[in-house]
Amino acid sequence: MLKYSIKRIILALITAFIIITLTFFLVKSLGIADTTFGAKENVRYGFFMKQYNLGYVEYYAYERPDLGKLLAHLTIDGEEYFFYEKPLVIQYGNWLRNIVTKWDWGTSTSIQPNTSAIYIIAERLPTSMYLNIVSVFFSVPIGIGLGILAGLKKNTWIDHLISTLVMVFISIPSFVVISFLIYILAYQTHLLPSLWPTPSEPMAVKVSAFIIPVLSLSFGSICGYTRFVRAELCEVMSSEYLLLARTKGLTKNQAITRHALKNAFVPILPSILAEFIGIFGGSMILEKLYSIPGIGDLYIRSINEKDYNVLMVDMAIFTTVGLLAGIILDLSYGFIDPRIRMGEKK
Amino acid sequence: MKKNNDFDFENLPIEARDPEISQEDFTLQQADKEIHEQKFQTKPTTFLKDSLKRFSKNKSSVVAAYILGILILLSIFVPIFDKNDVSNTAPDSAYFYLEPKLFDNTNGFWDGTVKKTNVPVDTSSHDQKDWWPNLSTYKIDGISNYHIDGTRFTSDINEYARGGYAKIGYYGGSGLTTATMSSMSSYVLEHRAVLNLATTSLTLKTFETVDADKIKAYYDIAKADDPYLPALPSDVMPQNFTIGLASLEFVYVSDDTGLEVTIPLTEKKAIHNTGSALDVSGKDPIDIGQVIMDYIDDPTHELAHQNIFSKFYFQIRVDGPEGTPADKSVCSLIRAIELDCGDTASNALKVYIKGGIIPEDIGGQTIDVGYSGVSFARSNDFLIRESKFKVAGKEFKNSGYWAVESSTKMCKTAHLAVCTYASFTYDSYRGQFGRREDISIYEFEFEIYADKGYIDYFIEPLDSDPTRADPSTFYFEILDKENSPIMEDITASDVYFETSSDMFVANCTVRYYRYLGLDKMPKFLFGTDKTGRDMFKYVFDGLKTSLLIGLATFAICFTFGLIYGAISGYFGGTVDLVMERITDVLSGIPFIVLMTLIILKAGQNYLTFGIALCLTGWIGTASTTRTQFYRFRGREYVLASRTLGASDARLIAKHILPNALGTIITGAVLMIPSVIFSEATISYLGLGFKNASSLGVILSDNQIELLSHPYLLLFPSAVIALIMISFNLFGNGLRDAINPSLKGEGE
Repeated sequence: MLKYSIKRIILALITAFIIITLTFFLVKSLGIADTTFGAKENVRYGFFMKQYNLGYVEYYAYERPDLGKLLAHLTIDGEEYFFYEKPLVIQYGNWLRNIVTKWDWGTSTSIQPNTSAIYIIAERLPTSMYLNIVSVFFSVPIGIGLGILAGLKKNTWIDHLISTLVMVFISIPSFVVISFLIYILAYQTHLLPSLWPTPSEPMAVKVSAFIIPVLSLSFGSICGYTRFVRAELCEVMSSEYLLLARTKGLTKNQAITRHALKNAFVPILPSILAEFIGIFGGSMILEKLYSIPGIGDLYIRSINEKDYNVLMVDMAIFTTVGLLAGIILDLSYGFIDPRIRMGEKK
Repeated sequence: MKKNNDFDFENLPIEARDPEISQEDFTLQQADKEIHEQKFQTKPTTFLKDSLKRFSKNKSSVVAAYILGILILLSIFVPIFDKNDVSNTAPDSAYFYLEPKLFDNTNGFWDGTVKKTNVPVDTSSHDQKDWWPNLSTYKIDGISNYHIDGTRFTSDINEYARGGYAKIGYYGGSGLTTATMSSMSSYVLEHRAVLNLATTSLTLKTFETVDADKIKAYYDIAKADDPYLPALPSDVMPQNFTIGLASLEFVYVSDDTGLEVTIPLTEKKAIHNTGSALDVSGKDPIDIGQVIMDYIDDPTHELAHQNIFSKFYFQIRVDGPEGTPADKSVCSLIRAIELDCGDTASNALKVYIKGGIIPEDIGGQTIDVGYSGVSFARSNDFLIRESKFKVAGKEFKNSGYWAVESSTKMCKTAHLAVCTYASFTYDSYRGQFGRREDISIYEFEFEIYADKGYIDYFIEPLDSDPTRADPSTFYFEILDKENSPIMEDITASDVYFETSSDMFVANCTVRYYRYLGLDKMPKFLFGTDKTGRDMFKYVFDGLKTSLLIGLATFAICFTFGLIYGAISGYFGGTVDLVMERITDVLSGIPFIVLMTLIILKAGQNYLTFGIALCLTGWIGTASTTRTQFYRFRGREYVLASRTLGASDARLIAKHILPNALGTIITGAVLMIPSVIFSEATISYLGLGFKNASSLGVILSDNQIELLSHPYLLLFPSAVIALIMISFNLFGNGLRDAINPSLKGEGE
């Protein structure tokens, strides 16, 4: 098990590394986003010297047409500077070296200029995490509860009602749900704030501001869990060992709690664990719609404003979270049921 | 022990033990018939028929299939047959923001009307631009459009608005969580707010005296509406609060200083006599500065001065329209209060006034006041902030309202501010296409109307000076009252000569849709958007785009995934290992990351969008195919075929694929809705198409109108939800139907 786990983690790290490398090259091949274009010379000088220190550009005192596109020609204190972009491979090397040696992921160019990208992320990550934690604790019990209810009352009106609702909510895009939650709960009835509150607002407002995001984050996962639990439970309920348990003389409740549920939860538990890893991610749509200063919103902004360093950190987080959730999912199967080795060769 | 009735073989006689059966005992049956295999009594069934039978048993999937069919047909035919142009802005602004209309007069349900609540009213203006918040969307001529409290007050014949009530002195709630104010309004109306509608003016009749109990009563109501309102400190309760015509004054006794402060307001400054129509624009705000300055000059009385402000409540909203996110550069409409005490006490109105402080983050910024009557934030103005606002040692917190300006650190002037809010039903079609006043009709248009027999007219310029503004002779008559664009007779005084166009022009009251040359009032099923686009066509145009993208991506991904999975699964070994690692990496990259990178790199158009969707879309199909190929490639029939010399391609195409196809299609059926879903999500985030109209783009474009025009989101949302639900139900049904493992099962 240990050997297998280590193997999986190392494989995931390699995959993450490849993805981040690929992303770096793809993003950087778009060219340096010169946010200071048209600004004063000394401002531009500051910007390019920062890029120089990070190892992305180089400068000469004379023109070098052989180095490709001239980024900027500045004259500071009588000295001339011709800035050129370094080859991508060298930029990549510098970027990687900064990360490995100094844990420096570069600085932001437009979102909060000259602030460390890691700092910007660290500032916004807690907001996304709080929301995710609350919604996990909200959605998992409800989802499982509804799933068990539907599974036990299979083919009754309760089951049909739950299954229909699940179908509807899985099908409706989340932005539609969020928009109308905001419209009804905030704009129409004025029960809740229509925006994420500023830090200075009273505690009551801050707490009530959680309701819409948590609801909208939860609908999807409640539906997912309900469907999952119902399917697993139905399968277990029709199994022969449950029949045997009943034949032995166990009551229906005993059979369900001691045999059916325990076995049904073998595949469910890992996905709950994986859900906890997902806490570190941010929902882009929700954060954009509700103006939540989290990392999902940051991601959209960094793309729109071409703030590549911030984008890279954000991407790295999303990638790592995705891969990590996959590993946890697969490994925990093995812990819960040692017969299962997910993803291993036969 | 033997049972009696048992067959006793032992005791039988010998002959009976071995009965002889002779040949005669046998006879031939049906000797004259030729017997062949009989045909099946049941009808033979094909795979497709069988699937269809199973599919049709699933009721919800059948319903979904019908809905899907209808939506697809609509998406094909609506863009063809609906002639309204959706690519350009409509020719006339009357087309902008029309509410969806299907029925006539269904009391607000889909009949082109919208209920407006708490819209600030500017009675002094007939120009729709003075209507706030949505300046461009209301075409209502003053307050004459309102029915107040069930009674029709209007002297005008505007019929665009009906029902509802008006609120006076309503403060608008607390920022983002505006509470409903119905209790407040009824309270105010109970106490006879008088709206003088005949002159389209608002006259506030004030009360004589308000004692502390009454102030408390107002406060309680306000508190019920606005939970963020802090508790009213008992020590700031005024003991007397008198506003009168002769001596307008505030009497206040401060508990902590014991000082009695009476602030007289001179008649000139304080009172605006509203014998005629009320117009505050250009009038000075009530200036109580001089009085206060007296106190401020003496620093020991500073607290007293602050206390005055703490209970002498004023208001301005600094949040956005109807509780939208605050646009901090815009302040709301405000009017200086008009106090008319000349009437009898029976017309008393209790003006609700509320104090407030600008939040820290807004204070100090220049606030552009939207109304010319009162300007609060001149360059040297000082705005009261939270920190400045202490009453008897207690901090008096509030959010969103402020109303004191000063040219020094000490307050110089204070404004009593009253804003009238109204609630009503607005018929956008009649408002925008019905009766419109002051439309310039040119001489050539008169000619056209006369030719069509709508009107009869005669204009003759003065002989001596043809460019004189008024004609010498003017005759006008409406002949066809039903169809004439001009609704009301005009007289010579309405006509003037416009030198730039060199013809006579008259300001007429017109039936606007006739004026635009339409035979009847237009009707838009889903309404129109900010540029007058017909949402009905726009939405189904978008649906068509979304469906096409979904289908195209499905076709590409399915084909590619099939080939990729087939190769990977059939050959196995190193080939499989390498191909699997490629899919690993591709599926490891978060979809949105991949999408944005491609779009950043190659621009936002159909092609790159398709590529981005296809780049990872095939992985699902590929892995299902691979598993199926693994399963079937070792089967005996494959081996047999291989022994007979079949090539790899033949084995894949002729032997393995047909067996695996059922399962593969099963997995791929749900790809179309998921592609539509992805496309909508990406477009919604603003990373998708530019200049195209997929459903996601429509929703994304209209997102900001959620509050003001929710129908712009309702219809596209409903369509996208409907298509997703029916696609998923249909897909599930189809999957169950064609899944080979279920074939032949009766259930």
